[in-house]
Amino acid sequence: MNKAISRVFIIGVVLFVALIANLTWIMAVRANWFADRPQNKLALAKEMKIKRGAILGFDGSTIAGSVRRSGYYYRDYPQGTLAPQLIGYDSLRYGRTGVEAAMNDYLTGQTTDLGVQSWVDKLLGRRTQGASVKLTLVPAIQKAAQKALTGQRGAIIALDPKTGAVIAAASAPTYDPANLDDQWARLSTDADAPLLSRTTQGLYVPGSAFKVVTAAGGLDYGEVTPTTPFVDTGTYVVFGGKVTNYGNEVFGPNDFTTALTLSINTTFGKVGNLLQRKRLQATMQRFGFYQTPPLQLPAGQVVPSGRYGPKGLLPPDAFMDPLAVAWAAVGQEKLLATPLQMALVAGAVADGGVIMKPYYTQQVISPSGTVVLRTQPQQWRVAMKPAVAAELNTMMQRVVTAGTGTSAALQGIEVAGKTGTAEKGNGTNLAWFIAFAPANDPRIAIAVVIEDTQSTGGEAAAPLAADVIKTALAQSALP
Amino acid sequence: MSRRNTELLFLVIAGAVSTMAYVSVYAGRYREINRVSIIYGLIFVAIFIVLHLVVRIVLPQADPYLLPVTALLAAVGLTEIFRIKPDLALTQGKWLLVGAGLFMLTVLVVRDHMKLDRYRYLIGAVGLTLLVVTIALGTTVNGSKLWIHAFGFSIQPSEFAKLAIVVFLAGYLDDKKVLLSVPTHHVLGVPLPAAKYFGPLLVMWVLSLAMLVFMKDFGMALLFMSIFVGLMYMATSRVVYVVLGGGLFAAAAAIAVAIVPHVNERFAVWLNPWPHAATTGYQLLQSLFTIADGGILGAGFGRGYLLYVNHQPVVPELQTDFIFSAIANEMGLVGAVGIILLFLLFTWRGFRIAVWAPDGFSKLLAAGLALAFGLQTFIILGGVTRLIPLTGITLPFVSYGGSSITANLMLVALLLMVSHRTNVVREGTDLERRRLAERG
Repeated sequence: MNKAISRVFIIGVVLFVALIANLTWIMAVRANWFADRPQNKLALAKEMKIKRGAILGFDGSTIAGSVRRSGYYYRDYPQGTLAPQLIGYDSLRYGRTGVEAAMNDYLTGQTTDLGVQSWVDKLLGRRTQGASVKLTLVPAIQKAAQKALTGQRGAIIALDPKTGAVIAAASAPTYDPANLDDQWARLSTDADAPLLSRTTQGLYVPGSAFKVVTAAGGLDYGEVTPTTPFVDTGTYVVFGGKVTNYGNEVFGPNDFTTALTLSINTTFGKVGNLLQRKRLQATMQRFGFYQTPPLQLPAGQVVPSGRYGPKGLLPPDAFMDPLAVAWAAVGQEKLLATPLQMALVAGAVADGGVIMKPYYTQQVISPSGTVVLRTQPQQWRVAMKPAVAAELNTMMQRVVTAGTGTSAALQGIEVAGKTGTAEKGNGTNLAWFIAFAPANDPRIAIAVVIEDTQSTGGEAAAPLAADVIKTALAQSALP
Repeated sequence: MSRRNTELLFLVIAGAVSTMAYVSVYAGRYREINRVSIIYGLIFVAIFIVLHLVVRIVLPQADPYLLPVTALLAAVGLTEIFRIKPDLALTQGKWLLVGAGLFMLTVLVVRDHMKLDRYRYLIGAVGLTLLVVTIALGTTVNGSKLWIHAFGFSIQPSEFAKLAIVVFLAGYLDDKKVLLSVPTHHVLGVPLPAAKYFGPLLVMWVLSLAMLVFMKDFGMALLFMSIFVGLMYMATSRVVYVVLGGGLFAAAAAIAVAIVPHVNERFAVWLNPWPHAATTGYQLLQSLFTIADGGILGAGFGRGYLLYVNHQPVVPELQTDFIFSAIANEMGLVGAVGIILLFLLFTWRGFRIAVWAPDGFSKLLAAGLALAFGLQTFIILGGVTRLIPLTGITLPFVSYGGSSITANLMLVALLLMVSHRTNVVREGTDLERRRLAERG
């Protein structure tokens, strides 16, 4: 009997050893793996014990603060709804997006850059405190952009073309991040997608606003000059098809500058075929199409622009026949672009052909007040030669002084821009305006897109760009 | 040092550790250390000192380690319950008092476990009745029908039935062990005892199947079946019972998985909890996250993240079935392994008492109780760590729950009685032997 009893006990010991081995596996070997599971609400909730760093505007004002209620910290938004799609939400239930997600390690004080500070705090039993993130976003300009979009669907994004700093990013319709949890059911199912960050995630047909890219290619490869003459008969017949003008207008003889000023499709179709498919595609890639702009946001929250097929982005060198090349040159033919990409196009012209890496973090400031990180502006791409940029700059000024973009004109400020009007086929238009100002020393590059309007880009989008530019240039300091 | 002085020494150590743990949690919660916190700690120590004195008088030669281990586990449990839901700690404290009362009653009334053998059929019938009553009148909590609500109390009769069945089986099997171990014929070359002795095996199989189907509780069914098969094996030393019992239980489990949705769900979650993260797998995954969060050293008593902002525990039922997840979180791998080793120590003492016991009934009783205790621990700890499918069963002495702590304190009383008799018979004085004989 004793032998059997001992055997049973030995089996018991084996089972207990299995328990200990399994526990070691969970707690020591795989602890971090478990902590990183998206299903792990514990990790998220634990961070609510930490005083989350503030997200500040460029002027130092708080956009997203941290308030303590019964031992836990919650986000509050003293300035109300300000760029919620870019800044993102921080919700126990629905996770994090935008800047809140991308900068989480700083905001929760977990990053190694803050290491020494945080370890001392830990030893002294002080509560961990997150670092503040100061954005390049200028609240006054952001408010002007949001106001301009009131009652419409669309997006406005403004950058400093010389640094790449994002100074405004408005997406409409918008939402109030302070009440996210209560309104989630409505927000997440709303057909107007208020949670979508249209500036970086919205893919729109660029239409004539894309002509800036075609023009840069034509000038850069020496196929045209600003004065190259063309004749418009209302149709450009090519490869068994034709390219026509907006509203079926006929312009007669025109030079290349006039073609951009009045947005003549036939001329740009011809320039497209002077460039041919490969050089048009190469030009697009130099502007950053087919790549995800390096704005530091979680995966999927910035999307690449380019030609899209049913399965997503097409390869940059996908085949197009000459008719398709002609339509692509006027911003059609499966082309889709984000407002961010189009603002980078305007910025390239403004900055002498150089595209700076877009960013939104001005500084990261530790709880003790020291600056632990400062973004150094970096060049991203060279889209064209400086001389070409100068020619295109002059041409784009003509669009505002004597062309389709006159409603963007401002007293005492030279604005350079390009309109775009993409017909959606259901009687409504997608209205674009991309611009920069002042033309001789640009401090702001902007892209405006308005969905489902009866008006053209010059009527619906250009005045909004003018409002934002005016507000921006009235600021004492810009990033 | 005498056995009782050893016990007292360890009790004092356990008491000091417990009081410190409790005061630390109290300080973490209320940001102060005051008299109230220390008084509660001292009341706890006092309860166990009283139990120690009763043992000193009635069972002076009993095992000296069981009571201190019990005290330490109960202290960890109470502290953690206080940590999670302070209101429940007082209730649990009252249950501990009731349990201490039942412990003393068992020791003083029974005095010698040999007496119990005389009433084996009565005790067996009581155990069976408890289970049948639960199946008939029980309330379903969290999908399992384990509870009886009566007179404002919720009782889990299976915890007491467990003790009764062990007592009955120890007596019955000790009587029949010779008959059960003699093969009368061979089937496919396997020697088998007479068919009529398989009767009890079938009864237990039907009982555990009924528990699976009607109580929807895999854990209790597994526990009862294993106690039975284990005792059969220990009584007869014949592996055939283990094979047959295991096979029958596996068949019953397969049937249950197929026809009882609650059991099926638990099984599916065990195989792969991730697709069910928001629904049926939530509890298990949250448990794993909570355990993993503890790391090597844990956050410290009262410092882990165990409660959400709205004071809901991070794992539903954290204070009962999942108390170990909370302990692992706050005490870390080191502390959690320490707790497991305490359970192993208790189980080892139980089996050790069985091995040294002078007669078959005592051996089977002690081994059965130790088996029940160790297995219950394994089933719940394996469940919350996803080693085996999760079932709602309490962690002895630690989980919140009156039935569990009172029944397990009675289990300690029984083990102490067996060890007292063992030690007296083996090495006691003439006086002690005479006294023992008078009791029987």
